[in-house]
Amino acid sequence: MSSASSRPTASSPSGSPDATPDANAAPILALDAVTKRFGGLPAVDDLSFAVRPGEVLGIIGPNGAGKSTLIGLIGGALAPTSGVITYAGRAIADLPPHRRAHLGIARTFQIAQPFVGLDVRDNVIVGALFGRRGLRRPEAARVADEVLERVHLTHKAMLKGDQLTVADRKRLEMARALATNPRLLLLDEVMAGLTPTEVAQAVELIRAINRDGVTVLVVEHIMRAIKGVSDRILVLHHGRKIAEDLPDEVLADPKVIEAYLGERYARQRAAEREGAATSAATGAATSAADADTDAAEEPEWKGGLA
Amino acid sequence: MATHAPARDPLAGTGAAGVRRESREWLWSLLAGVAILAAIALVPLSGDDAALSLWTLIVMFCVLAQGWNFIGGYAGYAAFGNVVFFGIGAEAVALTLLNGGPFWLGLLLGTLAAGLFAFLLGLPVLRLRGHYFAIATLGIAEALGELVAAKAIGGPGGEVSLTPPDLDFHIANTLFFYGFLALSLLTLLGTAWLARSRFGVALVAIRENEEAAEALGIPTFWYKVGAFVLSALPTALAGGLYAYWFLSLQPTGEGGVFDVGYSVSMVLMTFLGGAGTIVGPLIGGIIIEYLVQTTTVAFGDIHGQLLGALIILVTIFLPQGLIRLVRELTVSPAGVKLSYTRRFTEGVRRVQRFIASNGI
Repeated sequence: MSSASSRPTASSPSGSPDATPDANAAPILALDAVTKRFGGLPAVDDLSFAVRPGEVLGIIGPNGAGKSTLIGLIGGALAPTSGVITYAGRAIADLPPHRRAHLGIARTFQIAQPFVGLDVRDNVIVGALFGRRGLRRPEAARVADEVLERVHLTHKAMLKGDQLTVADRKRLEMARALATNPRLLLLDEVMAGLTPTEVAQAVELIRAINRDGVTVLVVEHIMRAIKGVSDRILVLHHGRKIAEDLPDEVLADPKVIEAYLGERYARQRAAEREGAATSAATGAATSAADADTDAAEEPEWKGGLA
Repeated sequence: MATHAPARDPLAGTGAAGVRRESREWLWSLLAGVAILAAIALVPLSGDDAALSLWTLIVMFCVLAQGWNFIGGYAGYAAFGNVVFFGIGAEAVALTLLNGGPFWLGLLLGTLAAGLFAFLLGLPVLRLRGHYFAIATLGIAEALGELVAAKAIGGPGGEVSLTPPDLDFHIANTLFFYGFLALSLLTLLGTAWLARSRFGVALVAIRENEEAAEALGIPTFWYKVGAFVLSALPTALAGGLYAYWFLSLQPTGEGGVFDVGYSVSMVLMTFLGGAGTIVGPLIGGIIIEYLVQTTTVAFGDIHGQLLGALIILVTIFLPQGLIRLVRELTVSPAGVKLSYTRRFTEGVRRVQRFIASNGI
């Protein structure tokens, strides 16, 4: 899992120049005081943030934090109660989802939504026919084959959408979104339910997509995966932003640990850190603590924060 | 991903094989449809007037089912009021003839009116989904029938009696038969075109998952409106032909041009044959209308019950229709080459499993 545990730095050979987000560039996506209420209950509450072109922004938060709602708001399935969403310099909050797809926003669904009666290849062809490119049939088929190759679904191209395993359904979600030729890709928990090997593959794929110049917004529950893939991480809790920073900073933030694992764990971990800091070099200790978190966190947040 | 790669690597060609299989099925469907209609076209040669009128009615119902297939089969929207387009087509011809206009003008006006009506009706009702859409369309058809009756359009209670065309009775009936047949052929060709077009792909995507379709860039609402209008056109033409062929019309009640029974038939026929397939509604229409007509003669009192039992059986055992049954029984799953016997036994297993999944 070593390849997934840390984001390559700017000097690492895998990061090409155009993948490096430009801090001065105008944001490709900006949310300004966006609120979404369901019957008075805020699912996303006064949220503002910006995504730079070429960036991978990770979004994490416990269950019910508003992550999927946020994807719905950006993708257009949901309309914000208030606030402004700007994409590539234009306000998009009033556009229906298909118009946003034409502008280059593609999303995956947390619960995979295949066209069950169509085979995998046709599922992807739909994305190529109607997405940003709006290709004609033969080119769409060619693009679909390329994309299937890329997500490693070629050998399952003939299966129907409902004959796939969970992991393959997630791949299909990715493939369909990629076939639309997006500029901004919204990934809603594409790594949930995957084995560690599959997670590593997904991380590698997301990096490769990003290297091609696609801005990616990754909503994820798996801390390890998101840390490996994100340039920055934004943490949602009860629909509000509680942190937005570099991965290491965010994951060490007591507020974040508390939101995820509860107050008691936060105190315990703070104590451990103090102990560790006295005995070893800080860097080594941090990574050891991270490894601990990885081992302990998954059962805990699934049970404790449902 | 090496773990997922197969031992052999025959996969480079699977995509192309899928396309070949698909276009083979498309071609076979189209040929089957044309062959069926060509066979029916021989009916007038028998010189039997009863057979001619039986098959005229059968082909008319085929057209209705084929029209319904666009919105109900391809887009997957259970329109229960498509008879409204039939009624509009019939009323337009009746009113045009009553006012001394030519038949073709009535057909044209009826088709345009039905298309426009489908468009305007679609704007509100196609925002509804599932049952709500079905109920809304059902209500509209009933309401329009009652309106025609209440306003006494065309005659007292909306009942119309038309003067027959100035032709020999037998020749006129033969012409009407071929009129319906041509309409069915045209609708068949339209369906075949649709199945290969972007429009058709969009409708299937909407049927299979509307939210995903929209997210992938399909303007789902406008495609649904388009499918609704498309389904109205052949239905209205059939209504217009029916009016001049049958000569006496009533708006409501059994056999009325706004009778919900027509809508039910369209749905049943399409599902028996195969909703969202090219030739399914044609096959379903022939089987059901033939059974209806012959059982009406043979068991006049209980033909309604027999039809009801057929609906139940189709829903339980053939919710995917005859065409899909044939496909399941003949096509190898996932493009794996299998012997015909193996394909068939695998197919039977799949069909059994499918029926079992309905809780039977």
